[in-house]
Amino acid sequence: MEDLTPPEQNVRGNTVAADTLSDDALLRRFADGDAMASRLLTDRLAPRCYSVAFRMLSNRAEAEDVAQDAMMRLWQMAPSWEPGQAKVSTWLYRVTLNLCLDRKRKKKPDALSDVAEPEDDAASVVDRMQDDARKDALQVALSKLPDRQREAVILRHIEELSNPEIAGVMGISIEAVESLTARGKRALTAILAGRKDELGYGDG
Amino acid sequence: MNWGMAMADNETELDLLFAQARNDRASIPDALVVRMQTDAEAVRLARLAPSTVKRSRGLLRRLADGLGGWQGMGGLLAASVTGVWIGFAAPAFLPDPANYLMTQDTTYLVADLGLSFDYLEETE
Repeated sequence: MEDLTPPEQNVRGNTVAADTLSDDALLRRFADGDAMASRLLTDRLAPRCYSVAFRMLSNRAEAEDVAQDAMMRLWQMAPSWEPGQAKVSTWLYRVTLNLCLDRKRKKKPDALSDVAEPEDDAASVVDRMQDDARKDALQVALSKLPDRQREAVILRHIEELSNPEIAGVMGISIEAVESLTARGKRALTAILAGRKDELGYGDG
Repeated sequence: MNWGMAMADNETELDLLFAQARNDRASIPDALVVRMQTDAEAVRLARLAPSTVKRSRGLLRRLADGLGGWQGMGGLLAASVTGVWIGFAAPAFLPDPANYLMTQDTTYLVADLGLSFDYLEETE
């Protein structure tokens, strides 16, 4: 690998220094040709990117494809990134969620993302689930939520983002985020209470 | 009250499930990380040396590059055409080689070649 850092910084010193840099600064360094920057960015951002994709799609192989695609878009847009405009992680969450919705729409061309019938949508999602996901009660319950509620709940309660940041990711107001997460959590609680025993096992 | 307690239990269970899901976040497959970093490296290298990736390797293209690119080739072509034109439309005070060719008289051609060789020998 080429090392394009200035000669006075050896690789070890550069690693220590780069580790303390912001995502913004690392993306700039990557755009300038620093290979180490992409490794650090992958370590920081990719696990969350993959986690969100898996929670949205309930399928590990599809989540891997989406996460790789989202990170690829990050690498490609690096030169045009304007520091300070938004957080890199916010941008990546938004791209990841959009890629997930694209995939879901391609599978179900007549599905409406926000007002889809949760029961019908959930049944097909559950059918597609892999065995490991079937055993995850939360995943089964999440798959029964409408897309926007599911996005908000995942970002709030699994990714632990603040409401303003979720608003930035989803492009909605903070009040709308609060409403979505509250409704989503109520729905999840009801699903777990009422249908816990049958979820994921009695649909066939 | 029983219903309320059941809901509270379910909320607790939901919170536990969220906590479990947060712990599960680190389980990104190693092979995926490798693929992501391979992508990053490909993008980085392509950006560092775009010409080596995109350049055509055609013989004509390389020849043109050696002669100063397409502009250089254009100049070369113009000079060649001009030379041919001057050769065939020479001023009146110079012998006209077109006439020699038109008459198909080998004597003139040999004489002309002889003169040329004499001239070369004189200059050496």
